Amino acid sequence: MLELIDICKVFDKNTVNEKVALDNVSLTLNNGDFVTMVGSNGAGKSTLLNAVAGMFPLDNGSIILNGNEITHLSEHQRAAMIGRVFQDPLTGTAAHMTVEENLVMAWKRGQRRRLRRAIRFQERAFFREQLAGLGLGLEDRLTTKVGLLSGGQRQALTLLMATMRRPQLLLLDEHIASLDPRTAEIVMDLTCRIVEEQQLTAIMVTHNLEQALSAGTRTVMMHEGRIVLDIQGLERRRMDVLDLMSLFEKNSGTKLSSDRVLLAAKA
Amino acid sequence: MLYALAGTLEQGLLYALMALGVYLTFRVLNYADLTVDGSFTTGGAIAASIIFAGGSPWLATAAAVIGGLLAGLITGLLHTAFRITPLLSGILTMTALYSINLRILGRANVPLLRADTVISRFNSWLPLDNIYGASLLGLIIVLLAVSGLYIFLKTEIGLALQATGDNEQMIRAQGVNTNHMKLLGLALSNGLVAISGALVAQNQQFADAGMGIGMIVAGLASVIIGEALFGKRTLLQHIIAVVCGSIVYRAVLALVLRLGLAPTDFKLLTALIVVIALASPQVRTWLGLTKNSRKRGSFDA
Repeated sequence: MLELIDICKVFDKNTVNEKVALDNVSLTLNNGDFVTMVGSNGAGKSTLLNAVAGMFPLDNGSIILNGNEITHLSEHQRAAMIGRVFQDPLTGTAAHMTVEENLVMAWKRGQRRRLRRAIRFQERAFFREQLAGLGLGLEDRLTTKVGLLSGGQRQALTLLMATMRRPQLLLLDEHIASLDPRTAEIVMDLTCRIVEEQQLTAIMVTHNLEQALSAGTRTVMMHEGRIVLDIQGLERRRMDVLDLMSLFEKNSGTKLSSDRVLLAAKA
Repeated sequence: MLYALAGTLEQGLLYALMALGVYLTFRVLNYADLTVDGSFTTGGAIAASIIFAGGSPWLATAAAVIGGLLAGLITGLLHTAFRITPLLSGILTMTALYSINLRILGRANVPLLRADTVISRFNSWLPLDNIYGASLLGLIIVLLAVSGLYIFLKTEIGLALQATGDNEQMIRAQGVNTNHMKLLGLALSNGLVAISGALVAQNQQFADAGMGIGMIVAGLASVIIGEALFGKRTLLQHIIAVVCGSIVYRAVLALVLRLGLAPTDFKLLTALIVVIALASPQVRTWLGLTKNSRKRGSFDA
């Protein structure tokens, strides 16, 4: 269970660029919740994810993951519990290192790293099996440098790296936004399958309203650093994209401003 | 001629340890560490003063390594604890080391003529008087360093260190404290540089406060020459290329010396070599010689 209690973050405080990114956000995720998070540009979605991941200290509030207070843990300490996939496919993997080297580094997430040879025979077999599960043919490319893979392959690999050692929380920050539509669909299917199989608790930021309703079990909408909508269950199942947009307008008092959201809504 | 060859080989091998250190920071850790100029001298100064005082040369060399490790650690702490930029933290340590090195030496120059050094000890184990003694010792130590570095970089910790240089965000998301990796990399790198300084001082039979000046550029030249001539497709190839690059670099210097260039012009020549190597991709694009527009190993100092 993830509890965010009154978290606040103001960037560039006391300057002309002051920006309230997170305004007393409270959110509780039960185990197995797969939250899709939407909102216009600058609403604070990615900031919220980065706050949970520990990329910057909070101004106020606390973050509790499965009973452990993680508010003051550093990014790498939280990584033991949290798996992440980034928007940019280049961010989640080390380009000059091989597929198997990337995997073994992820396999050691939250484990003690030692002075012993990282990749041995049994690891190879295990990685090959894991990669075969992606269905992208990566199982035959264990010793390929990751920089030679396509964006979609790298993103699928990052997803595997984030989940092969089951995380207590999975954070997906628009992880298919920069992929071409066909690849995006493959990675999205993979995401849903992995989350379901492992019964993961996850937050996925997306700009696609349709996807926000079709994937996951719960939808949260943000606006100007606050949560303006939080729906699940029957209420969510009955909703379509237009309902979601009008609810958003009612709750936030503004129209959805992002072109990408509108485009995605029309599509 | 034979003497020149032996001289080039032993210099190439002894300085190769320094080049390996430069490779570890500049290439593996992607950290432009300028501590090298200082830590090389620190290695030489520590070894020379212990030997001069009558200490064991092996112990003196070991103490030099510890000095180098500490120098690297200080640069690392300046960067990780105080967020000083890599370039500046290296310069600060290098500058501070200049005074410290003079303190260690106690004077501008410590001579080791006819002193008991690791090289004279090693030579005494060899049959006959051998002009390749220093080269052989250098080769053994370089082989140990190359295999040690390769094996280390393939361990769990070694991979995390490589990833820190490759993609810091990625490896932090996998739970690695990248600050620790930088400290480790900088310490190991300057440890290697200091062994090199200690051995060079024993080989040239003196240590002075200026022996490390321009060392970073010499190290870079070795790395770049090695990469260009011997390739860097795999990790092992890359490491061995750096060693070979160091030997080629010393051979080039010996050659131009024979052609009549003054030894004092070496640094200018070295800087030119590095400039040419770094500028060539850009010049090639100006001339329209690049085959594709993909970004190639651009160099960030």
